[in-house]
Amino acid sequence: MTLKRLLGLDTRAERYAFASDPELGYVSAQKIPDRWVPTTCGYCSVGCGMFIGVKDGRAVSVRGNPDHPVNRGMLCPKGLSEHHTIGAENRARFPLMKQGGRFARVSWPIALSAMAGRFREVQARYGRDAVGVISTGQLVTEEFYALGKLTQLGLGTRNYDGNTTLCMSTAVAGYKRSFGSDGPPGAYEDFERADVILLIGANIADNHPILCRRLEANPGATLIVVDPRVTKTAMLADVHLPIRPRADLALLNGLIHIIIERDLVDHEYIERHTTGFDALRDSVSSYTPEDVAQITGLGPELLHRTASLYAGARAAFIAWTMGVNHSTKGTETVNAITNLALITGNIGRAGAAPFSITGQCNAMGTREAGFASSLPGYRAFENRAHRAELAALWNVPADRIPDARGLAYPDIIEAALDKRIRALWIIATNPIVSFPNLGALTQALEGLEFLVVQDGFHPTPTTAFADLVLPAAIWGEKEGTYTNSERRVSKANRACDPPGEARTDFDIFLDLAAALGVRDEIFPGWTGPRDGFDEWRRVSAGRLCDYSGMTYDAIEAHGGIQWPFGTQGTQNPEETRRLYTDGVFQTPDGKARLLPVHWEPFPEQPTGDYPFVLNTGRTVEHWHTRTKTANVPILERLSPRAWVEMNPRDARVLRLKARDRVDVVSRRGRMRGVELRVTETIAPGEVFVPFHYAEANANQVTQSAFDPVSREPNYKQSAVRIERGSTPNSQYPTPKRSPGRLGIGSWKLGVDSRVERKDRGR
Amino acid sequence: MALPLLRRTTEDDVRFVMTPTIRLRAEASAEAGLRNGGASKARGQSIETRMPAGLPQPGEQYRFHVDMGSCIGCKCCVVACNEQNGNPASINWRRVGEIEGGFFPAASRSYLSMGCNHCVDPTCLSGCPVDAYSKDSVTGIVRHSADACIGCQYCTWNCAYGVPQYNAERGVVGKCDMCYGRLEHGQSPACVSACPEGAIAIELVDIADWRAATAASAPGRGLPAQDGSLSTTRVTMPAHLPPNGRPVDLSHVTPEHAHWSLVFMTVLTQLSVGTFVVIWVLQLIGESTRLGTAAVTSLAVAALALGGATLHLGRPAYAYRALKMWRRSWLSREVALFGAFSVVAGLYAAALWGPAAFAKASAPGSAAALGGLSALLGIAGVTASACIYRVPSRPAWNTRFTLLQFNLTAAALGPLLVLAVGASDARGLASAAATMAGAQLLLVALRFVRLVATDSIELRGTARLLSTTLKPHFLARGVLLGAGGVVLPLVAAGSVLPWIAFVLALAGEIAGRYLFFVSVVPQHMATPYLELGSEAA
Repeated sequence: MTLKRLLGLDTRAERYAFASDPELGYVSAQKIPDRWVPTTCGYCSVGCGMFIGVKDGRAVSVRGNPDHPVNRGMLCPKGLSEHHTIGAENRARFPLMKQGGRFARVSWPIALSAMAGRFREVQARYGRDAVGVISTGQLVTEEFYALGKLTQLGLGTRNYDGNTTLCMSTAVAGYKRSFGSDGPPGAYEDFERADVILLIGANIADNHPILCRRLEANPGATLIVVDPRVTKTAMLADVHLPIRPRADLALLNGLIHIIIERDLVDHEYIERHTTGFDALRDSVSSYTPEDVAQITGLGPELLHRTASLYAGARAAFIAWTMGVNHSTKGTETVNAITNLALITGNIGRAGAAPFSITGQCNAMGTREAGFASSLPGYRAFENRAHRAELAALWNVPADRIPDARGLAYPDIIEAALDKRIRALWIIATNPIVSFPNLGALTQALEGLEFLVVQDGFHPTPTTAFADLVLPAAIWGEKEGTYTNSERRVSKANRACDPPGEARTDFDIFLDLAAALGVRDEIFPGWTGPRDGFDEWRRVSAGRLCDYSGMTYDAIEAHGGIQWPFGTQGTQNPEETRRLYTDGVFQTPDGKARLLPVHWEPFPEQPTGDYPFVLNTGRTVEHWHTRTKTANVPILERLSPRAWVEMNPRDARVLRLKARDRVDVVSRRGRMRGVELRVTETIAPGEVFVPFHYAEANANQVTQSAFDPVSREPNYKQSAVRIERGSTPNSQYPTPKRSPGRLGIGSWKLGVDSRVERKDRGR
Repeated sequence: MALPLLRRTTEDDVRFVMTPTIRLRAEASAEAGLRNGGASKARGQSIETRMPAGLPQPGEQYRFHVDMGSCIGCKCCVVACNEQNGNPASINWRRVGEIEGGFFPAASRSYLSMGCNHCVDPTCLSGCPVDAYSKDSVTGIVRHSADACIGCQYCTWNCAYGVPQYNAERGVVGKCDMCYGRLEHGQSPACVSACPEGAIAIELVDIADWRAATAASAPGRGLPAQDGSLSTTRVTMPAHLPPNGRPVDLSHVTPEHAHWSLVFMTVLTQLSVGTFVVIWVLQLIGESTRLGTAAVTSLAVAALALGGATLHLGRPAYAYRALKMWRRSWLSREVALFGAFSVVAGLYAAALWGPAAFAKASAPGSAAALGGLSALLGIAGVTASACIYRVPSRPAWNTRFTLLQFNLTAAALGPLLVLAVGASDARGLASAAATMAGAQLLLVALRFVRLVATDSIELRGTARLLSTTLKPHFLARGVLLGAGGVVLPLVAAGSVLPWIAFVLALAGEIAGRYLFFVSVVPQHMATPYLELGSEAA
């Protein structure tokens, strides 16, 4: 502090000055940029259009794009402060290689040749599939497409999956089983055009707040919210169904039972566009309102009323998120949702659709570009014609293309535990905070021979386990496309240069391909994302997710374009597009499948020792594992730490009071010293924690239970007990393996003597 | 002063109050019925309907309308406000509180977004010693001038809503000005523009009507009781707020800032005043040994206290400005009275201690007159000090006990210091000190009883702090004053013991003043459940 400031002669007036900007208006002068770069938000999949304000090469402000059809200029608190992520202090800046237990800076050529060499070495010794790749929903579609090609054709391993399996794979699996293909059928406009909106396990007020505007715009609609908690969204509802944990499948079957019983079904739609109605009718016959009331805790009258509302609607819309997906019965619950929509004909019309609201900004892009649960363009590994089509497009022999998917994310971790996977490449995700049952994961990562973590941030809890850290550009530093939940392809653009030597993931993939000696074959003549986009347009042509009619310019001009948008016909890029408007589905016979599915109790029931059912979720201020938002001061200020919600009746029994520090204990681990929030918004017998906080990591207590079809974890409904608290965790888990046993010493490394910045506490 | 763009032209389709980026057409529908609370029907409508139809007429002003029924607690307004004003994360001119009630599953949590209430008679303004606040004559917006502000932070105590916040980086206070600069440019405020739910609006209020309506109704939940400042913010409660809905922070109290420079400043000025009063009385009744030494010591204490007090200011170089508003602000009066006191007391000390020639030259009568004037100014200064803390938004301070407490500090410590420097009539001084210290202890006890036996949430909060978190300090305060102020003076014999008694009693009073500052529970708007975190990285 200067003397002038101490005396008060200086009040930092210039820092707090105001000035006028043509776009922002009269505003703090430090927020006024030299130029505006249009882009799409990089947090959730709502896909809001916005501009980044750049001054002297730094991002200084953002503003919503008033002409963007998704958000009409509005942004959520994360979007409003998103420019702070770019200049965050904990950005990864240089390639780092661990030597003797410490990270040392290396050059890019050395990093990539070491990576290629180690992967080839592991594959030579243990087989091609001994290398696994775990990606993300954070990259642009061009990068997903390039990464898939690099992994399947270049590295030659099938064991490739993304963190999208922790999030949306259940919706994908459910859509495929019911409709023959992935692809959310509806559009955001349906929120405004439906007369009944049923939200199941979807707390959009916290997680997708900009979608709440659509509810406001449709005041005549009846909003029904199914959620075991009184969430912010439940508080907006006309009818809140405070269901018992994971009773949603029973509820849906019960509604179908009532609707069939009272003959409220759409016979014509069922007849013309579905198969399996008889089996469905038989399967729900046991779901009488009385039995379903027992399971769900909702009275028979409420069930009848809900069934009447839904089936009586001119257009009924169902949207769901993680409450449905994070479940061992998730895929079947999705099928129950699609069953309900199909038998009432609520699909393919304005306001009528079953609709999954996705998590990450481009989880949809990774589903389209594929290579994980399906081949690019929603093609099937198992389909010989699909494989031949791709082989021809890529000019490679058809036998280079795998005929079955490799391991899904949880199975890759399990394979690492029993040494079938020996080397792993983790891209733009932070499993130490996001993967269930932390103890099993750390054991798996510690047992690897080589772990590469490619991320925009370092240190993160996961980079601490890495042998090699590759610094990547993040949102605002690279170009490409994101697909949002309503299949709208929007453009993300580069506003700033990445820090230090960080590079775009796209460039890293191209150079790794060169190091592997496959660049010319799989990326012929490619120099930038536009090349990836052009090839992807050809690959997607004629598929459900058809991009072939799109160009970067057209996408920018229209604020995103919804697929399918092929070159055929004269589609208006700005019209709202829905899938299955003609009732023709992606199955061989063109009919949707009605699938009998059955409710089961959740796997880990509460016991005397673990009497509470633990629910997990989010808060509006933070994003996923907080690598980004913990570095945005205003968001961190508004939501500085984790908490545990408990009903006052339970707190009285345990003699706990508000703001006590408690431990959440399961059979697998313990969250330490978390602040208690005593609240009536949660049911007795249940507790809730947010999952964002590495310091109070919910995955220390969650279980290893996965959906048999989608492989999505059952994050919710762990049996826990609450104890008076111990000292909070001050640090993330750190790797225990002995330094130097990783064998990267065999590579002649020109290690830079400059050592990386000291790891901060987190 | 005019806000030109706020004059709405409806005939020729000229847009009004728009950010340049929000290119909405002025719709005919926005014209009607907005003058009297039309904004409450503005859910999800265009931003136009959330801005007033024109400039206030005489008897009207602008105000915020907050629709808790529409708010989803996303806190976009908080983020947008900080971005708009370039404030660090630790300062939030707009905040969102939580109000919860009901029983599962019929439970609800509502969110209350509040900036400045732009009161009709703002207490921040009336208390300000340097006239840094102004109420805009056209719009009624309460504005604050960072240039005029000296960082005394008196306004942060006076406002029952905790609106003005001190920015240590700048050394001045800042507050929500309804984005005055944006309004002037025909743009809507940042919070209004950023709210995705359209829950925040600016509207016109007829002040007389509002005064009548407010007098006739209880304050909204999550808001403190009206204190005469007449907050203008209109809050629309959610349609179904449970009867037991209340702020989530209601039972949660944490100690306030200690203001150490003020702890020392107030105790030491009171010590000095007490000493001069004792010296003057001793001089009047003819005891004159070592009075000069006592006077000079006391003068040094006063100088230390007043000098140290400027360190409390964010801008010490402008301390002199604090004299400006003596007609209105107790802080100005305190500064003026203590300033005069130190001058007169200095002359008095010189008369008592100075060279014999000076002492002879000045008639004993005039020295006594100087002493009397010192005592008078000193007591007036202590009274002004106490009046500073008579702020309705801080109930634990807003009592006559504060005046008594400050004067008893002077009365107990004064004789002890004079005794310690060795003035004669030790017995008389000791019994005076013991009596006054005993009275102070009695006052402490009475005050605590008052805190416990009240309905005031804030006062009970203070009692809870004193009996839990601050219990050790509270006990130590009593023991120190009891030992130094009562026990030792009564048994004092040797020359060392009076000093020990004085130091113990002084420590007791400093502990007491520390508790005075940290145990106050201010009135406030509802806050979030999790205390706001410190600024990250």
